[in-house]
Amino acid sequence: MDYKIAIMGSREAILGFKALGLEPVYSNDPTKTAEMLFSIKKEKVEVNGESKNKYAIVFVMEDLMEGITSEDYKKLTSDPLPAIIPLPSHLGSTGYGLKKLKLIVEKAVGMDILN
Amino acid sequence: MAIMNVNATRMALLTLKKKMASAKRGHKLLKDKQDGLMQKFMEVIREAKKMREEVEEKLGAAFKNFIRAGSLMDSAFLEGALLYSTAKAKIEVKTKNVMSVRIPQFKAEIEGEVVNYSFLQTSGELDIALQSFLKVYPLLIQLAEIEKSAEALADELEKTRRRVNALEYRMIPDLKDTIKFIQMKLGEMERSAVINTMIVKSKIQASA
Repeated sequence: MDYKIAIMGSREAILGFKALGLEPVYSNDPTKTAEMLFSIKKEKVEVNGESKNKYAIVFVMEDLMEGITSEDYKKLTSDPLPAIIPLPSHLGSTGYGLKKLKLIVEKAVGMDILN
Repeated sequence: MAIMNVNATRMALLTLKKKMASAKRGHKLLKDKQDGLMQKFMEVIREAKKMREEVEEKLGAAFKNFIRAGSLMDSAFLEGALLYSTAKAKIEVKTKNVMSVRIPQFKAEIEGEVVNYSFLQTSGELDIALQSFLKVYPLLIQLAEIEKSAEALADELEKTRRRVNALEYRMIPDLKDTIKFIQMKLGEMERSAVINTMIVKSKIQASA
């Protein structure tokens, strides 16, 4: 079973990825990110009578991730698929990705032991 | 510590003792699971951090190339050229089981040609930009796999830690106290029964 990969971001940022065959989802509005991610997550395909997620990975530009509340984030990442991965956009890294890693470590260990 | 709401009987004592044994066993097992998860998590998270730093650096470079290509070309031509791409990103997903945590494993490939446009209207920079995107792509997939694993492990670690703590600091001490309480109460009842018989015996002897 082959899954698809989606990429979400502004037009300029994801044009290059579109050429690689990833499914583009255009968005400029951080407040709508959660809503759009939920609908991406809900998309299923039927394979041999089983319904499976259409997308295995969703890459999201960091500037769009800022609009997601931690509750929504928890709901979005509770299932094994899809993996929602923030990427720095063409404007440069905002440090969101590393901040997220820190949060993961804090959750698992109780304190930040990176660095 | 709190004493549970049970009757001080031999029956209750027996069930509590059984519960205590299974609580201790469960605690040990969960503790072992926690250690195993932590070991794996440490491996994964260090790699995740390294990968993320690498990806951020390389992706930044790829974007720079792309913007340079975009600045040299008309934006309509640029989009048009990219529409010719026949590439399809495919991904296979397998799940691995680590300490009962399901970790995804991605295997991605790109089918078809990315560079499929006329070279006449496009700048050479676009080729370079797309090449750099193609080079970053496997790294992105790897990053997705590792970060998702780290997230899943962290979730499970948190749950396991709570269970271990609940057993260690609540369930087991409570059971211990309750068992002791019942044993004392039963001992007391036994002693009072003996004393009662002694009193009755002495009364019978006195009247005889």
